[in-house]
Amino acid sequence: MPLSNDELVEIRGILGREPTKAELNMFEAQWSEHCSYKSSRYYLKLLPSDGEDVIIGPGRDAPAVKIFNNYAVVFKMESHNHPSAVDPYNGAATGVGGIVRDILTLGARPIALLDMLFLGDPTDQHADWLIKNVVKGISDYGNRIGVPVVSGMTWFDKAYNRYPLVNVACVGVVEISKLVNKVPEANDLIVIIGNTTGRDGLLGSSFASKPLDSSEDYLNNISAVQVGNPLIEKLIIDFIVDITDLGVVKYIKDLGGGGLATAVSELTADYGLGATIVLDNLHLREHDLRPEEILVSESQERMLLVVSRDDLKVVQELLEKYGIQYSVVGSLDRSGVIKVYYRGDLVAEVPAKALAKPRIRLRDAVVPKHFNELNVEVRITDIPEVKDLRKLMLKMLRSPNIASKEWIYSQYDYEVGIRTVVKPGYGDAAVLRLVEVGDGLGIAVKGDGNPRYTYINPFRGAANAVAECYRNLVSVGSKPIAIVDEVNAGNPEKPDHYWYFTEMVKGISWMAQELKLPVVGGKVSFYNEDLSMNSPVKPVATIVGVGTIANIRNVVTLDLKEDDDLILIVGTTYPELGATEFLQVHLGLELGEVPLPRPSSELRNAGFISELVGLGYAKAVHDVDVGGVAVAIAEMCIKGLKGVVVDLSKVPNRGCSRYEELLFSETQARYLVEVGSEVLDVVVDLARKYGVDVGVIGRVVGDELVISYDGHVLTKLKVDELVNVYENSLNELMS
Amino acid sequence: MIKFPGTNCDLDVVWVLRRVSKLEASSVWFTDFRVGPWDAVVIPGGFSYGDWLRAGAIAARSKVLDEIREGIRNGLPVLGICNGFQILTEAEVLPGTLLQNNSCRFICRWVKVRFYNPRGPWLKLVPEGLTTDMPIAHGEGRYYIESEDVVSGKPLIKYVGNPNGSAYDIAGIASDDGIVLGLMPHPERAAESELVPRGRSCGGLHIWLSIGESLRVGW
Repeated sequence: MPLSNDELVEIRGILGREPTKAELNMFEAQWSEHCSYKSSRYYLKLLPSDGEDVIIGPGRDAPAVKIFNNYAVVFKMESHNHPSAVDPYNGAATGVGGIVRDILTLGARPIALLDMLFLGDPTDQHADWLIKNVVKGISDYGNRIGVPVVSGMTWFDKAYNRYPLVNVACVGVVEISKLVNKVPEANDLIVIIGNTTGRDGLLGSSFASKPLDSSEDYLNNISAVQVGNPLIEKLIIDFIVDITDLGVVKYIKDLGGGGLATAVSELTADYGLGATIVLDNLHLREHDLRPEEILVSESQERMLLVVSRDDLKVVQELLEKYGIQYSVVGSLDRSGVIKVYYRGDLVAEVPAKALAKPRIRLRDAVVPKHFNELNVEVRITDIPEVKDLRKLMLKMLRSPNIASKEWIYSQYDYEVGIRTVVKPGYGDAAVLRLVEVGDGLGIAVKGDGNPRYTYINPFRGAANAVAECYRNLVSVGSKPIAIVDEVNAGNPEKPDHYWYFTEMVKGISWMAQELKLPVVGGKVSFYNEDLSMNSPVKPVATIVGVGTIANIRNVVTLDLKEDDDLILIVGTTYPELGATEFLQVHLGLELGEVPLPRPSSELRNAGFISELVGLGYAKAVHDVDVGGVAVAIAEMCIKGLKGVVVDLSKVPNRGCSRYEELLFSETQARYLVEVGSEVLDVVVDLARKYGVDVGVIGRVVGDELVISYDGHVLTKLKVDELVNVYENSLNELMS
Repeated sequence: MIKFPGTNCDLDVVWVLRRVSKLEASSVWFTDFRVGPWDAVVIPGGFSYGDWLRAGAIAARSKVLDEIREGIRNGLPVLGICNGFQILTEAEVLPGTLLQNNSCRFICRWVKVRFYNPRGPWLKLVPEGLTTDMPIAHGEGRYYIESEDVVSGKPLIKYVGNPNGSAYDIAGIASDDGIVLGLMPHPERAAESELVPRGRSCGGLHIWLSIGESLRVGW
């Protein structure tokens, strides 16, 4: 029972009597961490959410940000971690369903999905089962509803062997004048549409607001996992898009976490209204459901519409065309009280505002003991020399965190909707065209997070996730306009877990302010811990960003294009080998100082990249990320099927004394760019104007990646061999 | 364009028919469709009825298929893409059947295809042996037929590099006269250069240009 004794006393105080069973369930659902943000709200206020293009910020089911003329992008992220740990197929699938419905609440047409997955070691049997089913769940659901999964990221770590993190995001577009954003009024009707209400997902949000302690916990909580029906979701999408065009629905809400109880309490509380609900009117799957179950069932594919009495007929006609079940369950009034009737009895009578917003819980945060053990200085003199660079490079490219994720994204229909201009595997971000907005216009989308960074240093890790997302959006030639975040942390009641949450929020907030990126929405997931595991679930801040593109014909991918072109590195390299992939692969260590977030370099270097792309000088751009220059240049060769001769002595740096630092440091704010040799002088002049450090580190030539230092060849790798290792290793691991 | 519950490529095909084929096109809810006024019909991709039972099985038994059969008897060009092809084989309008991919996984990927015996309204402008690219996106796309005799001489689209275990590499097949064409790859996703990845060609374009010209001047 997640309601504490203090909370029970408070509930008695609100009601002035003992709560009924139905009321108790309503409070349990709504006051769960998942729905109420009671432990997180205080810190979430730190996040900058304002911007001149922000039309609807945090607070509603999804935010809306203006793009181009008369259109808005609506995007949001959510996690389905607990359900996916218990039932990976349904857990992941319903995560997709839920986030799509959030986008629909504003009347937007969902056009893209992203999945950010933090999965276990594929060689572990249980992790393998989780991985395959999480991916299949997303694939079966996303494909069936016709929304392409275009981007995302995947991280593999044995910390997630029994408990994966499944973050999914959806992006939609809508004409601003048609945004479903009217004020609900007294006498309006409450209509529930979609799936029948059954026993699946009973108090699911409350289940997600406590840790999973033992193996029995996994089995006993199966009934708290929702089961999806993508066909109904698809019909709801078609219905919402059509009804938005007609402009007859005033307000839409998803029946997500907390089910009917949460949807009605938030609706009434937000507008100072009350409601009368007659549960007998609701279409049910099982007829022996008790009222307290109906109120908190989290059966999927259900939405709440507020419709004026005059418009009901139009809404009904369209619902009937699509064969969508619906019930008029009640109406709004000015009482400020939610009254619920069942078989003639008043089963709940609760003041809406007191139910919707529990008091903020201030939690203690302390630095965990292992922080100092992990955050040690990594001195280059302590790192043994790399004896066989060729072997190390291949080992890195084979690492599932680096290798191609084609095994995953080829299971998603990433092209439905015929918008996907830059498809998975081709660029740093996905690019979607928006033909309804205007010819040539588009957006870029990308999701990022690095649990290695956030586990070692949550502040830096979260800040770097924002910066990386920003760079990825810039790389393809878009202008970043806003982000949403998902903070995945442990038990907020434990101060050393809660500390991770506070630090991650501070890191996101700081970097977002520096980069002038509004954080327009987000989600917090607590209790991501599993006491039956040997290693903790690593906390991670996931960021999804959107950028606008004025001409999709000018977007830039990361594959090398032409022989004799030059490779430029943009940005200064520092000796930052702490917390890198290199340290992990070379020495099996996950420690050290996380690369320093560098917001002013990010802004300056991004400005330069944007200018190069705008002028048409950049033929390929790739941000330097996990694995450093080594991995970035190899990926450009692999995707372009071209060789490069690299001279590391040309990498502009401060304080690097060995080539390993130049090749593997994960210093932020860096990019690799391919330019034609004929524009080199102009490009270098431009770099000077922007105050950006650039170095010509290589030339596109032949069919080998040759890495050298000042004329001395360190290693040579055939591009064919790189392709083989990079493209096939995850496939081999999974089959 | 016939839209079933769960069809999700209808607007994509409408867009391409208007923009590339320069034809008027609309998405019509399956219960509203009557064969009379239309010059051609496309059953687009998606997951009609959520692929319950078998892909295409339920849609193939809806009344709209009677309308379509009547149209075909009168020479109405019909194209089934992906789920539309599955529906046409389930309805026995086209021979063969589509089974689960031999990898047992959904596959979304660009593939190479080659055209054989092209004729009829959908393939009018396709030269014999044309080799080009289109993307596939399906879980049940493995074409099966008892004997090659059944398909020999018919217009065929074959994979160059079989992605799913299809018999005789068949990706698509038409009736003898080419009036009815079904294929698993998505020609509407390979009709505009801005959507075609580097190193691939616009393989769907030939089909859309063909139907545009066929409906204007005949085939």
